[in-house]
Amino acid sequence: MGKATINKVLFIMMLMLFLVLAACSSGSDDTGDSKSDEGNGESEDAGSESEKADGKIYDIADFSPLKEGEPMDGGNLNFGLVADTVFAGTLNYNFYSDAYDSEVIDWFDEALLGVDETFTYTQDGAATWEMNDEGNEFTFTIRDEVNWHDGEPVTAEDWAFAIEVIADPDYDGVRYGDVTSIVGVEEYHDGKADSIEGLEIIDEKTLKMTFKQPTPSLLSGGIWTYALPKHIFEDIPVAEMSSSDAVRVNPIGIGPFKVESITPGESVTYTKNEDYWRGEPNLDSVTLKVIAPETVTQALETGEVDMVHSFPTDQYPDVEESLTNVEFLGRIDRSYTYIGFKMGTWDKENNKVAMDLENSKVGDVELRRAMWYAVDNNAVGERFYNGLRWNATTLIPSFYEIYHDDSIETPTYDPDKANQILDEAGYEDVDGDGIRENPDGEELVLNFASMSGGDTAEPLANYYIQAWEQVGIKVEKLDGRLIEFNDFYDRVGNEGNDDPDIDIYQGAWSVGTDVDPTGLWGPNVIFNYTRWEDEENTRLLEEGVSPEAMDLEYRKEVYSEWQEYMVEQVPVFPTVYRSQLVPVNKRVVNWDIRQEDSELYRYEVGVTQDEPVTP
Amino acid sequence: MWKFIIRRLLITFPQLVFLSVLVFIMAQMMPGDALTGLIDPTITAEALDLQRERLGLNNPWYIQYADWVSGLVQGDLGQSFRFKMDVTALISERVMNTILLSAVSLIFTYIIAIPLGIVSGRYNDSPLDSVITGYSYLGFATPIFIFALVMLWIFGFQLGWFPTSGSVAPGLESGTMEYYISKLYHALLPGLSIALISVVSTIQYLRSEIVDTKQKDFIVTARAKGASENRVYNKHIFRNSILPIAAFFGWEITSLISGTVFVESVFSYPGMGLLFLESIMQRDFSVVTSLVLLFGAASILGALLSDIILSIVDPRIRIK
Repeated sequence: MGKATINKVLFIMMLMLFLVLAACSSGSDDTGDSKSDEGNGESEDAGSESEKADGKIYDIADFSPLKEGEPMDGGNLNFGLVADTVFAGTLNYNFYSDAYDSEVIDWFDEALLGVDETFTYTQDGAATWEMNDEGNEFTFTIRDEVNWHDGEPVTAEDWAFAIEVIADPDYDGVRYGDVTSIVGVEEYHDGKADSIEGLEIIDEKTLKMTFKQPTPSLLSGGIWTYALPKHIFEDIPVAEMSSSDAVRVNPIGIGPFKVESITPGESVTYTKNEDYWRGEPNLDSVTLKVIAPETVTQALETGEVDMVHSFPTDQYPDVEESLTNVEFLGRIDRSYTYIGFKMGTWDKENNKVAMDLENSKVGDVELRRAMWYAVDNNAVGERFYNGLRWNATTLIPSFYEIYHDDSIETPTYDPDKANQILDEAGYEDVDGDGIRENPDGEELVLNFASMSGGDTAEPLANYYIQAWEQVGIKVEKLDGRLIEFNDFYDRVGNEGNDDPDIDIYQGAWSVGTDVDPTGLWGPNVIFNYTRWEDEENTRLLEEGVSPEAMDLEYRKEVYSEWQEYMVEQVPVFPTVYRSQLVPVNKRVVNWDIRQEDSELYRYEVGVTQDEPVTP
Repeated sequence: MWKFIIRRLLITFPQLVFLSVLVFIMAQMMPGDALTGLIDPTITAEALDLQRERLGLNNPWYIQYADWVSGLVQGDLGQSFRFKMDVTALISERVMNTILLSAVSLIFTYIIAIPLGIVSGRYNDSPLDSVITGYSYLGFATPIFIFALVMLWIFGFQLGWFPTSGSVAPGLESGTMEYYISKLYHALLPGLSIALISVVSTIQYLRSEIVDTKQKDFIVTARAKGASENRVYNKHIFRNSILPIAAFFGWEITSLISGTVFVESVFSYPGMGLLFLESIMQRDFSVVTSLVLLFGAASILGALLSDIILSIVDPRIRIK
C-alpha cells in the first residue's frame, strides 16, 4: 500500500466519521425540538407571552366581504383558480363532482333560484316560485327573459329534463340523492315507471314539483335548481353525457358570461353574454386559469391574476404588508374543526350506527367533557392561525347567523375544572405516575387520529396531546404519527370499516346550505363517525326538518335545543371556527365573496382601469 | 439483430403482465378510492354507494383486473372516474405536452452539455474545468423543484420574460401558428430548468470519457502522425467518448413520455407526470394503472433502443 492510498483511506474514514457524527447530532436536534414543544405547551399557561412572539392577531370582523365602486366600461378580468391539479373539465352542474369545476361553471351558469342569508330560496332568481299550504307542492315560473347562451329560451322542460337525467339509472354523476325527495323519482330510477310522477310541466315556462313530504330543508337547498338544455342533450345517451362535447368542449349555461374557449384542465376564456337576463355585464371578458398554490402570491403581486378563488389563510400574515396592490376580502367560513369521540362501529347490515358505550374508552360523558375543558382553543386560534380561526362553541357555526345560538355556554379552557370533573368521576392516578387510570383502576391510554397536511398539523396535534396530559389523560397519536387524508377517512369509517384502535379523532366539516345537521350527526348516516346516537338527538334532528319547522321561529328553537344538547352530551366538540380570505386586485370593483344574499351579482363585477394595479 | 429484438420483446411481455398485476394489487391496498375525496354533506352516502357499485369498486381485485384486461385487449383502457372521459383520450390530451416539454429539455441538455463536457475534458484540471465541475457538483446537489421555483421566480415573475403557468396562452385557437408558438414559449422555461439540472451527469460522463480516451495509444499515434490538435479532439476523441451518451439516449426517450412530476407541478404544466401524481392522489385507478403500464412499456422499449443504438455506434458490440 503506497502512502497516497493510505491517505485516501484515511480521508474516506474521516468522511464516514463526519457523516456518523452528523447523523448523531441531527438525532439530538430532534429531542431538542420536542423539549421546546413542551416548553411552548407550558407557556400557554403563562398566557400572552407566546402570542407576542407569533406576531399580529387579526379579527375577521375587520374584513369586508365585498368591494364596491364605479367600474369603467368593459375590460378583461383575470381569475386564478388555485389548484395543484388541473380542473377535471366536467363543466355542467348536473354532472360535476370536482370542486374546481364548480368554480369554472359559476362564471357561465347559475341556479334558477336565488337565496337569501339563511340560504332560503327567494324570488330574485331566474325563476320565481309558489308553495302550496302544506308545503309539498311547488310551482316554478321561469322568467321570460331567461335564455340559454345559444338564444334558445330556458323552458320548464329543460328543468324537468335535468331531473330525469339525474334519476336515470345510467347517470354517472353524484347528485341522485338530491332529487330523491321528489315523488316518483325512485320508481323512475328503478325502472318501475316511465316518467316521474312528481314533475308536471304546466306550460312552456311553468313547472310543478311534488315532494314526498314538506320540510324546511326543501326551501334551503333541497330543490334541484339547475336546468339542462334539452335541445342539446336530448340526442345524447345519458351514460355518455358527462363525457360529451356539450359538457367538456362547448358548454352553455344561462350565466352572465359565455365560454369562448377551453384549454383542457388549464384555462378558460369567457366573453360577456349581452343577453343576460339581469342586464349586460360590465366586463367584456374574463380569463380563468389554474395557478399553482406555490406561486399565488407572486401571481397576485405582478397582476397576472386579479383575484383567486381561494387563498391559504395561514399565508396572510406573511403577505399582508408586501401585497399592497391587493385588497383582502374576508368572511366567516362555512366550516368548523372538531374533535370526535369514537363510541361504536357501523352496522353495515342495517345501515345505522352501532353504539357500544361499554366497550368504548370514551363512553363516559364526564371524561369527554373534561377533555373539552382541558384544551384552550382560543390560544390555538391565536398561536397557530393568528386569530383567523377562533374558539368554536356549538356545532352550528356562526356562519348561520340566524340559527347559531351564541347564548349557549360551552366549556372553555379551565384545567382546574377539568381536573375536578375527572376526580369526581373517579379517574384517579392510582399508581402515582402522573397519569390517571380509569374508574376501575385500569390504565387509560387513548389513541388520537389526526390528519397530516399543512405546517400546523403536527404541532397542533402535539398541543392537544400535551393539554390533555396536563390534566392527567394520556393520549397518543394513532400509530405514533399523523394519518394521510385517504387513510384517515378510511379508518375513521368513511365506508363503515371503522378502525377499533381509534378513540379520538380530529376532523373538519364544511357545512351545506341547509342548516339541518342530520347528514353529519344523525343515527343512520355513515358520516357520523362518532357512532354515537341517542333518542333525544334523533328526536331533535327530526323535529328540525318536520313540517312544523317551516316556521322559522320554531326551527330556531329546535336547533338551539339541539346545540345545547350536543354541548351536554359531547359526542364531539367543535374546536375552531374558520375564516375565508380572498385577495382582490385594487382595480376590481363590485365583487362579493358571499354566495348567499349577495348584494352584488356576478354580472356587475368590473375593473376601474385597463391594467392591473401593481405595487 | 431482428432475432434479438423479437426475443427481447417476448421477454418484455410477461414483465408487463407482472407489472400490471403488481400495480393492481398495490392500488387495491391503498386506502381510499376515487370517491373518498367526495366527502361532502350535500352528497348522500347512498349516492356514493351507487357509484361504487356502478364502477365495480366493490368487486375483489381479480375481478376488477379481469375487467380491465378484457378492456385492454380491445384497446379500451377504461374510463377515468374523475375526468369522466376515456383514459386513452385523456392520455393523448396530455402526452403531446409532455413530449414537447421533454424534447425542449433534451435539446437544451445536449446544447449545453456537449460543449461544456468537451471543454472540461480537453482542458481538464484547468481553472475553466474547475468552474464547470463546480457547476456540475452544484447541480447534483440542487433539488430540481427548488431550482425550478427559483427559475420561475426570477425569469417568470421578476423579469417577466416567460409565462408562469399552463402550456398555452388562454383563448388561442388550436392549429394556428400563434398557438404552436405559444406552446413552445410555455415549454421553454420549464424545459430550461430541467436541462440546467440534468446536464450535470452528461457533462461528467463526457468529461471522464474524454480524459480517459486522450491517454489512449491511438491518440498518441494520431498526434505522432501530425494530426492537428483540433482534429485529434473533434474526430478521434469525441467519437470515442460519445459512446455512453449515445447509450443513454434510449433512456432519455423514455422520459419523453413519463414527464417530470416536480417541474410540471411547479409550472402547473399539464403533462403526464402531473396526471400520474394527481391520479394517485385522487385514487383514479384506471388512469394510474394505464399510466404505469405505459411507463413500463416505455422504459422497456427505451432499454432496447439503447442497446440498438450502442450496437450501431460501436461496431465492437454485436447483438446476437
